Amino acid sequence: MNQDIHIPALARVEGEGALTIRLKDGAVDEILLNIYEPPRFFEGFLHGRYFQDVPDFTARICGICPVAYQMSSVQALEAAMQVTITPEIRLLRRLFYCAEYIESHALHVYLLQAPDLVGHESAITLAADAPDLVKRGLRLKKIGNELLRTIGGRSIHPVNTCVGGFYHWPDAGAIHDLVPELEWARQASIETVRWAAGLNYPDFEQDYEFVSLNRIEEYAIYDGDILSSSGKRITPAEFEKHYLETQVERSNALHSHTLGNGTYFVGPLARFNLNYKKLRTMARESAREIGFKPPVHNPYKGLLARAIELVHTTDLAIELAGSYQPQGASHVEFDVIPGEGCGVSEAPRGVLYHRYIVDEQGLIRFARITPPTAQNFAQMEADLWAIAPTAIKLPQEEASLAFEHLLRSYDPCISCSVHFLELRIEKR
Amino acid sequence: MNEPGGGGSAIKLIGIGQSLRGDDGAGSAAIRLWQERYGKASDRPGLEVALAEAPGIGLLDMLEGARFAILVDAVRSDARPGTIHLLSADQLAAFTSGSGSAHGWGVAETLALGKQLMPGEMPGKLYLIGIEAGDVSLGESLSPEVELALAEAACLIEQLISKD
Repeated sequence: MNQDIHIPALARVEGEGALTIRLKDGAVDEILLNIYEPPRFFEGFLHGRYFQDVPDFTARICGICPVAYQMSSVQALEAAMQVTITPEIRLLRRLFYCAEYIESHALHVYLLQAPDLVGHESAITLAADAPDLVKRGLRLKKIGNELLRTIGGRSIHPVNTCVGGFYHWPDAGAIHDLVPELEWARQASIETVRWAAGLNYPDFEQDYEFVSLNRIEEYAIYDGDILSSSGKRITPAEFEKHYLETQVERSNALHSHTLGNGTYFVGPLARFNLNYKKLRTMARESAREIGFKPPVHNPYKGLLARAIELVHTTDLAIELAGSYQPQGASHVEFDVIPGEGCGVSEAPRGVLYHRYIVDEQGLIRFARITPPTAQNFAQMEADLWAIAPTAIKLPQEEASLAFEHLLRSYDPCISCSVHFLELRIEKR
Repeated sequence: MNEPGGGGSAIKLIGIGQSLRGDDGAGSAAIRLWQERYGKASDRPGLEVALAEAPGIGLLDMLEGARFAILVDAVRSDARPGTIHLLSADQLAAFTSGSGSAHGWGVAETLALGKQLMPGEMPGKLYLIGIEAGDVSLGESLSPEVELALAEAACLIEQLISKD
């Protein structure tokens, strides 16, 4: 090689998205959010596969939230084959999920959304200005990945989850050794909340319908019923009757609506609003300290909800990791029987729904995966319409940033849905 | 023996890319071929081999303790699929394109962040072997041109390691 080459983008190709805002006579005529979305293909991939392959396959949908894909898929398959897991397995799955929340929320809060709120182009320029801040975010993310690796065998696409439990119990000593770093992480999370409270959030509120999992006795992440801020509560098996996906011509992603054709909002803000009282005491105190209480209707403040959830999940992880003792078999034995089942868990970005039909040989005959980002698309578009009249008055670059900032506040999943973002504003 | 600015003593060979996304899996495939042709990594003290589907910012953790790092990754420029690029750390730094709007974390952005935050802990020497990708749609197979290029990439890996 004897001359310079130009590589405009290294091939991290986990999804692509584009936004087009069309203007006509100075007003917004059309808003098109176009998304390339791999989960749809995974549904096809899974057809004819043995059920036990599903958690490893679906983990590959996303590099940031593989645990969510594993947890929703195993719960759906366990429902299909009438498998009941032990309380010890459930506790470890909850700890596993904490690991994912810590790494995913740290990434979004510090590296993806924070630069928007402090007026930096990226985390790289922010790091030049405030290295200790970005280092704190990276260290938080690292402890999440470390816990994920210790339980799941790999820090990015874990392999230890199976239908019925885990292939192996992780080593108790290795889990206990993580407690001191988790204690650091909890303190860092409390500081994250205080720092995030001082950021300058755009003044924008909408009347949203929030939807999240809900449990009586805990802040629902791993499982639960599906609760809406409209008051409606349904079981996972009823999900598709109430939340409908429709094909949108311009996008590879299906868009979700409620039964009444309304948009709805899933994610940290929905969980915070609907389950505030179930947060661990320390997380609730952290929220109280900064005067952050439900209902919150500003999507940009999803960052604050994530920060509060960092306190919640680090605190929960300390308890679960500290008391972890492998007991009994790491996975339950069961007979393969034909059946159909649904599983829902709260991915860091919101409700993640899976449904499978398994035949008598244990082969997958049908798969449906509804990721949180797809459920938020319609709401994101509605929000874009709401800010557009003001945003298009700004110079092109500032307008782009305003639209992108709004979309980023939803934390659209990097791999599941979007690799941001080519913006076109067309004038006619 | 640490070189100035080196983060440790190991040589790390890291394959990056999603093997379920066609040619995006070329980096890992090249490392597997190198292992077949040039012997086991365990025969070489101080050499660590890792494959990462989509490490994102986690690449920084993977580089910890490396004095010399070789990243093998699929890339896209205007070149013919299967073209092999060899980029030094300095050349890579020119490719932080679009970081203002990029939601994800590419290799170049991640390395730039590492250099910004912890220059002393980054590998003193780093190369990226880029294999020009053709088809990156879903599926496990590589396109024929990329398949053919793996031998050249494996040979280049061997040269970089043995010259070190």
